[in-house]
Amino acid sequence: MNAFSYLDLLNLLGPETILVLTSLAALFVDLGALRDQPLPRRWLAGGGVTALGGLLAILWLTNVTAQANLAHGILVVDPLTQLVKVVLVAMLLFTVALSLRAEFTEHVGEYFCLLLLATVGMMFLVSSEDVLTIFVALELTSLSLYILTAFNKRSLVSAEAGLKYFLFGGVAAAFTLFGLSLIYGLAGSTNLREIATNLAGKGTDPLLMVALIMVVMGFGFKIAAVPFHLWAPDAYQGAPTPAAALIASGSKVASFFVFAKVMALGFAGIEGNGAWRQFAPGWVPVLATLAVASMLLGNLAAIAQSSVKRLLAYSAIAHAGYMLLGLLAMSNPHRRADGMAALVYYITTYGLTTIGAFGVVQIVERTGGDSLENFAGFSRRAPLVAVCLMVFMLSLAGIPPLAGFFGKFYLFTAAAGAEPGNLGLLWLVIFAIAMSAVSLYYYLQVLKRAFVAAPAEAAIAPVVSFMERLTLALLALAVVVLGALPAWLLGPIADAIKAAGF
Amino acid sequence: MQTVFFYVFAALTVLCALMVVANPFSRNPVTSAMFLVLTIVSLAGLFVQLHAFFLAAVQVLVYAGAVMVLFLFVIMLLDLKEEERRKVRKFAVIAGGLAVAIIAVLFCTAIGQTTAGIGVQPILEGGTAALGELLFKHYLLPFEILSVLLLVAMVGVILLSKKDLK
Repeated sequence: MNAFSYLDLLNLLGPETILVLTSLAALFVDLGALRDQPLPRRWLAGGGVTALGGLLAILWLTNVTAQANLAHGILVVDPLTQLVKVVLVAMLLFTVALSLRAEFTEHVGEYFCLLLLATVGMMFLVSSEDVLTIFVALELTSLSLYILTAFNKRSLVSAEAGLKYFLFGGVAAAFTLFGLSLIYGLAGSTNLREIATNLAGKGTDPLLMVALIMVVMGFGFKIAAVPFHLWAPDAYQGAPTPAAALIASGSKVASFFVFAKVMALGFAGIEGNGAWRQFAPGWVPVLATLAVASMLLGNLAAIAQSSVKRLLAYSAIAHAGYMLLGLLAMSNPHRRADGMAALVYYITTYGLTTIGAFGVVQIVERTGGDSLENFAGFSRRAPLVAVCLMVFMLSLAGIPPLAGFFGKFYLFTAAAGAEPGNLGLLWLVIFAIAMSAVSLYYYLQVLKRAFVAAPAEAAIAPVVSFMERLTLALLALAVVVLGALPAWLLGPIADAIKAAGF
Repeated sequence: MQTVFFYVFAALTVLCALMVVANPFSRNPVTSAMFLVLTIVSLAGLFVQLHAFFLAAVQVLVYAGAVMVLFLFVIMLLDLKEEERRKVRKFAVIAGGLAVAIIAVLFCTAIGQTTAGIGVQPILEGGTAALGELLFKHYLLPFEILSVLLLVAMVGVILLSKKDLK
């Protein structure tokens, strides 16, 4: 038991502290000062307070360089975690910018408070290597997101989605906790690196495998991998659109990052083998199965969707499958840094793209709904937004020179090179490439409606605020620039990984 | 002796927990709440076996005492009637039973074949001072995160349960 200075702790947790205080400020400002003001002004004020806090947190993260590992990994702060936290806060800011014209609720203060606290949970999730803190942070994130999903109290769909998300999440959390306690019993430690050391001689002990599967269940739920994906389409469809954007972006980033850490650090030594016809038990074949199932079901089910939000949900499931390839690439300790770099690049660009896509869906929703028919002739009604939609959809499909293409490229090369010499995971990479070809069909379906189909007679031009235009344009620009100049993001990621000694 | 007690309390916990959600004799929510008290008390027994005496006492005082009173208050205030029996679907029962059986078989074989782990030495011998030391030094951060979690729960409950007047 090592004591540490509370002042050090506060210094390391500056950004999180700022965000927690901002969440309280958002509550007080809205409930105290602005109670009788008109709703648009309250949204603006709440969003302003939140954005201010977010910007301060980003300033802190980029300017205060600290590296520490407190109390056996309970708090780990290094350049890599700081970088991922910047990404998380940026995603929060984009979500906030898209919610300023929202009309789904009158509880403005609570909405921003929960957005901020969900982000705080994700930040804690990222900067920990101790399963206890990881579990607590996971619960903080999940609980905030359940409430955000059910936030629209005028809609039955929202309540149903919230309940479904909550029940699935509760069961998944129970399985994770059970698995983690089995591991605690087997390894006698909650620190990921110590777990790996203590489990070294265990090989493929059956109880260890049971624990492994249980842990994978919980994280599989968070990242919406098949067969733990059942909540995702309902939650994405039922949740207020900006909240769905945060669930699809920030929560994904944090969950994948911590999932990768748990697998690569905590279960180092029991990777098993996922190479074709050389399967050996361990976490690699388990995750490979999840990846194949997610890519297959996600892409095929997306084709049949008529609601674009559901389509994005199934596309998110498919993308979770691709991203699992990044985790598999980390199974080789010597190539771990490559896999991590590819994964962080992919989740960052994917998150930005998804927020943009949900932003466009939100605008289309104002003209009636989010079904494919509502997209008909969208390019003639809102040209700029339609162009942004095209960028996002093509990036999700992985068309060069957009960020989605380079994300997939790095991810697939990292996975193929995980076992140098014998290209063990090549079968999975080939499958992933084939599936991304399938995905092009439904992304183009949306674009076909928007650009080719004639608008319905009664179609009205949607109202697009300046802030939304700016946000969507920024996101689209980011997707194009990060695709054209991937080194701008990959360089810092690689430096951070090197500095973190991952 | 220890092992016997462990199995007794563990079986009691699981049995009572089962009765909370699926009591074949009564559908009254008050009965469920009473079985929840029994579950919590059996859990406290397990804590005693882990030498966490303070935790066991708190478990009984706070959960079996205070929290359960609140539960009962809510049940009485809402004036809940006997829950309606849902029609049991045959397919759901068969599928669920099959899944549970497979998991049970997997578990039993896994536990039968496993070698004992390192295990965990109890780091606390029941005292409150040692517990406080641990909570506010080593585990300060998770402890603080939990307080934020409670804030989220509070905001969420008020938000979801409040009637929108306008």
